[in-house]
Amino acid sequence: MEILRSILSEPFFVILLGGTLTASIPIILAAIGESLVEKGGVLNLGLEGEMLIGAFVAFVIALNTRNLFWGLFSGIAAGLLVALAFGYLVIYLKVNQIVAGLGIWIFGIGITSLLFRVFFGRRFPIARGITSKTAIPYLSQIPYIRSVFNQHIVAYVALALIPLAWWLLYKTNFGLHIRAVGENPVAADAHGVNVYRTRYLTVMLEGILAGLAGAFLSICDLSFFVDNMTLGRGFIAIGIVMLANWNPSRIFYGAFLFGVFYSLTSGLQIAGVNVPREFLLMLPYVAVIVVLCIFARNTRLPAAFCLPYERE
Amino acid sequence: MKLGIVVKAVLGPLFAILAALLVGGLILFFIGLNPFRTYFELFKLGMGTHLGITESLKKMAPLLIISAGLIIVFKAGIWNIGGNGQFLIGAIFVGGLAPLLINGSSPYLYFFLLALMGFLGGALWIVIPAILKAKYEINEIIVTMMMDFVALNFTAFLVRGPLIAHPEYFPQTRLIPVGQRLPFIPFTRIHIGLIVGLAVVILAHYFMKKTTWGYEFRLLGENKKAAQYAGVNIKKVTIIAMLISGGFAGLAGANDILGIKGAFQAEWNPGYAFSAIPLVFLARFNGIAVIPLAYFFSFLAIGGEFMSRAANVPVFFVQVLEALMLIFFGVTEYMQKKGKLFWKS
Repeated sequence: MEILRSILSEPFFVILLGGTLTASIPIILAAIGESLVEKGGVLNLGLEGEMLIGAFVAFVIALNTRNLFWGLFSGIAAGLLVALAFGYLVIYLKVNQIVAGLGIWIFGIGITSLLFRVFFGRRFPIARGITSKTAIPYLSQIPYIRSVFNQHIVAYVALALIPLAWWLLYKTNFGLHIRAVGENPVAADAHGVNVYRTRYLTVMLEGILAGLAGAFLSICDLSFFVDNMTLGRGFIAIGIVMLANWNPSRIFYGAFLFGVFYSLTSGLQIAGVNVPREFLLMLPYVAVIVVLCIFARNTRLPAAFCLPYERE
Repeated sequence: MKLGIVVKAVLGPLFAILAALLVGGLILFFIGLNPFRTYFELFKLGMGTHLGITESLKKMAPLLIISAGLIIVFKAGIWNIGGNGQFLIGAIFVGGLAPLLINGSSPYLYFFLLALMGFLGGALWIVIPAILKAKYEINEIIVTMMMDFVALNFTAFLVRGPLIAHPEYFPQTRLIPVGQRLPFIPFTRIHIGLIVGLAVVILAHYFMKKTTWGYEFRLLGENKKAAQYAGVNIKKVTIIAMLISGGFAGLAGANDILGIKGAFQAEWNPGYAFSAIPLVFLARFNGIAVIPLAYFFSFLAIGGEFMSRAANVPVFFVQVLEALMLIFFGVTEYMQKKGKLFWKS
């Protein structure tokens, strides 16, 4: 009861809600990207690796230039570059998508841990003062929900991308091409849709978003980099795409739910809940499993999912 | 004919390994490290010294045991990527229970029970992903990965809480006395985990090749619909394959506690699955091919560890190499299929 009261107190609730939104942003970005590639028939398991590389590059550049824009830009560029390599592997060379994805994932962990030590040795630099939150006038004064309107600029971008992705996927010719290529690439090709180009474009968009997700994590959310700092967020994003059934708007609910549990891990600690810290840290992962159980039973995959397309 | 298949099976992974070493060398060059010195130290310290060879042989055991499980589950087309978590649970089961079982009557029973505990621990950790996969077709990649993070936190809780041996020191389970750990292979300084690993991986190989269950696993991996028509109980086979792979990952944890560590320490997470996944792909899920590759990968790990001190190249370089090997393996597989590399299959 005491805990419930402290959670519902205005300042605490504000922190919890703000933290929830901040935690859900990288997941939203990554999951939107993943839903685009998956709709096009490609499974990108390398998402986690791309996010890590984006996070690392963005952090290093932001630390040296002291500039938010260059940090984000280079994180995006790094994500795009890795995604292009992935696309080349699975679209052009038709490498097994699971092999390529797992390879990019392990590569991402290895290369960022390696470079971090080469660049910084045993130091753990913190990129302070690179970024600040942008408060929306008036809205950021509303009690209880004011933290929603006091976020990093990237957060607003991510939220705006949700309807944009939905529009792209379901209301444009390009979106139609993506879906056609994912369902029946042979028929799409026969109708003059360039299967390779469409899939490359989805992979590139995904790389941009994954790089931005990583950059947000390392320079906006945390201001530092540690080994494997994405902590499964890439895989969580893939899971959320599944439970959202490739629908961008449902991605928001999934990511938000993850965010709730993620911010609860620190929130409940501050509230003084008498549960070992480790159990609180498990919460987001357990929540993802539970939510998958409820919403992701027997999800229908795009018909050409995971199959490379070969033009006769 | 038969020789041709073997040569082809060797050439693909060999090409992948060489390509990975080349690209790895380029990466070193671009970040201002000396690739020639790095590789020289890596091979010299990992393969050219008595210590390097002994340590490499020791490190083979967990890789062999995890790989035995992975070839079964991957061959069935199921992607268990949470091996690190299953390993940790097996390890903490053994780390927690071994001190209670010491002073038992028979050392055979003692080791058997602990091996069983390790296996059960790992298998337990994949029960949820297995049921969700079999019953609701919920993607096992995500769920095993989530369980990985749960395991990390759960073992951290156990080793800092209920299982802590001396709360005033570094958190770890009670140390198993040297006399109660795995014995050495006669005339060597290598514990018998290596023998267990070899036995397990050979067993897994023939299990897949010769038994009905193995046939059903392979059928499921090759064509799910065909397996269904052939009367394979998909749910049962999925669950069994996953339990076996989780169990072996846990058994590898038992091996490391009883053979090398002697106790479960906080923050300890060797991440063998990151190596075992590329390894079993390079071996094309063939248990016999796993053996030389396991030696090569454990040489890389040991050589990398020694090299990181000698040449001042962080040990993570080895992980980069392993990932590159997996990626290039994918490339060679495709090229061999197209007849662009060596010859058409």
